[in-house]
Amino acid sequence: MCVDDRVVVRNVYLDVSCGEVHVILGPNGAGKTSLLSAIMGLPRVRVCGGTIIFGGEDISGVPAYERARRGIALAHQFVPVIRGVKVANIVKHIIERYGGGGYENILDILDVKHLMGRYLFHGFSGGERRRLELYLTLLQRPKLALLDEPDSGVDVDSLKLIAEAVNYAVRSWSTSMILVTHSGAILDKLYDVTRTHIMIGGQIVYSRDLEATRVVLSRGYIEGLKVLGVSLQ
Amino acid sequence: MSLRDRVKKALSKPSPYGVDIDISSYIIEEPQVFERSVEESVESKIGMRPSISQYLQLGQMALYKLIEKSLEKYGVKVVPLRVAIEKFDLARDLAWRLVDPDTDKYTALTYLYGGELGYFVYVSPEVKVPTPIYTCLVLRAERRAMLAHNVVYVDYGAEAHVVTGCTIPHGVKGGLHVGISEFYVGRDARLTFSMIHSWAEGLHVRPRTAAKVAEGGEYVSYYMIYSPVSSIQLFPRTILDMGAKLYAASVIAGRVQGNYDIGTKAQLEGTGSSAELVSRVVAFEDSKIYARGYIEGLAPESRGHIECLGLLASPNAEISSIPIVTSRNPQSILSHEAAIGIIAREEIEYLESKGFTEDEAKSIIIRGFMNIEAPGLPDMVKAQVKRLIDHIARAGVQL
Repeated sequence: MCVDDRVVVRNVYLDVSCGEVHVILGPNGAGKTSLLSAIMGLPRVRVCGGTIIFGGEDISGVPAYERARRGIALAHQFVPVIRGVKVANIVKHIIERYGGGGYENILDILDVKHLMGRYLFHGFSGGERRRLELYLTLLQRPKLALLDEPDSGVDVDSLKLIAEAVNYAVRSWSTSMILVTHSGAILDKLYDVTRTHIMIGGQIVYSRDLEATRVVLSRGYIEGLKVLGVSLQ
Repeated sequence: MSLRDRVKKALSKPSPYGVDIDISSYIIEEPQVFERSVEESVESKIGMRPSISQYLQLGQMALYKLIEKSLEKYGVKVVPLRVAIEKFDLARDLAWRLVDPDTDKYTALTYLYGGELGYFVYVSPEVKVPTPIYTCLVLRAERRAMLAHNVVYVDYGAEAHVVTGCTIPHGVKGGLHVGISEFYVGRDARLTFSMIHSWAEGLHVRPRTAAKVAEGGEYVSYYMIYSPVSSIQLFPRTILDMGAKLYAASVIAGRVQGNYDIGTKAQLEGTGSSAELVSRVVAFEDSKIYARGYIEGLAPESRGHIECLGLLASPNAEISSIPIVTSRNPQSILSHEAAIGIIAREEIEYLESKGFTEDEAKSIIIRGFMNIEAPGLPDMVKAQVKRLIDHIARAGVQL
């Protein structure tokens, strides 16, 4: 996967089944966001080799809006402020597109009702931004949700709500998730983590269950990977 | 110098804002008043059936129905101002009290040659008028000047919605519209005034509006223009007494090569008075828009806020946002914010990732941007505004 002509992600094989939660751990600049962007089909990342298969179909050349309609949703790490456009407005359009009803629980869990009259992401705290973005993502009722650093820059209360919403979507709707985190702050609050991958330098260098990868969270990526017997070139 | 002489002299006095117009090049027909109902197909443009309108002005011909029973039983009067001035002392006392006839050449022209066409609305004390009062102004022929003078008085404790649609039939491209409006909102009264303008290229529009809101009164003004126009300039002024409130919303979609100079001024003269001026401006094609807001804080505990947001939807368009707050009282709290932006690539890509095409994303942004929820607008106006905003957003994507 390339940004401009630079290869930023290579040799990545990820197989995510229905209802599975895959966590990608990695330091800043490892290529995690680029990987999610490529799966979502954002134009800034180009698939310069390999394929993305979703629901048995090759979607590598499918535009982002079509991927979203097929059931992929991305909770962005960096969201744009859209002055003058109210949150309620965007919510209305998403509900019209994906069908209404059944979202009240997520609305309550993420505690975003009070944000409806505000301009999209304008003047939001870190926690509000993350919670609302997750709400808009789950509002699409995706088959596969891509969560880019949902635990970054949020307070403990917001973190708890975000984890609760993720758990709810996985258990109630069997939503598959690929969750990217560099701090791992959310991991202890997730009920179902199917597999954890460690990404360094644009490659997945280690994949195992959550327990096995905890060492990188406690000792850091360089030392932790040494303990796990992974040598970095 | 007599008033009439002063006004005659003002025929050559340009407005400090907007494009200066040579008013001598327009034909002013003899003002006429008819007491009967009419039908005219203007609904598609302004969302109002003339048949429900209590007052309709076609050029310099005013047509009005007998007051509907439903309004009459509440003591609501809707008549051409010219008739009202002949019949009622109140109308005579109120006309030209808030707007000086020698303000500029447009007020002077209307004072001298308008024949006091326009509507007079009076709402009796404590009356809550259950249905909106509709008025409709149509400029009907080329090179004509339509001069209207409106006076609305909502007496103490009363509530009313006045809805005015201004338009021009298909095919008429040139003309001048001048509308003088004077609104009086009594003590603890409430007036909602909605005005939807649909004009055309080649037309010059110069509304001159002033309002006075008495103690505890509330005035909500909603103004929308979504059509091409050669030039439009208005800067209505509202004077607020103790505890009075103003909410003024302007929604402007600039088109073609139109010059739009649109503002609102609030004078907070009474203790605890407040004003909120909100504008949303989208400039398409080669349009040029000036969005002005001016709040003058003169009294203690008065509060005012201006919000001017602009969206530049064309590289050839231009928006100038000019919010001014002036305080002459240390206990007056005033603020403003102004921002002009474009529809950023990242905003479109964000919405694409939510399942919307590029065109849909632009449309969502324009539609959401223009949607101001002014408090207390009648349902019919809300529905019409929604329809027009959808139309603007759809059209905007294709420009």
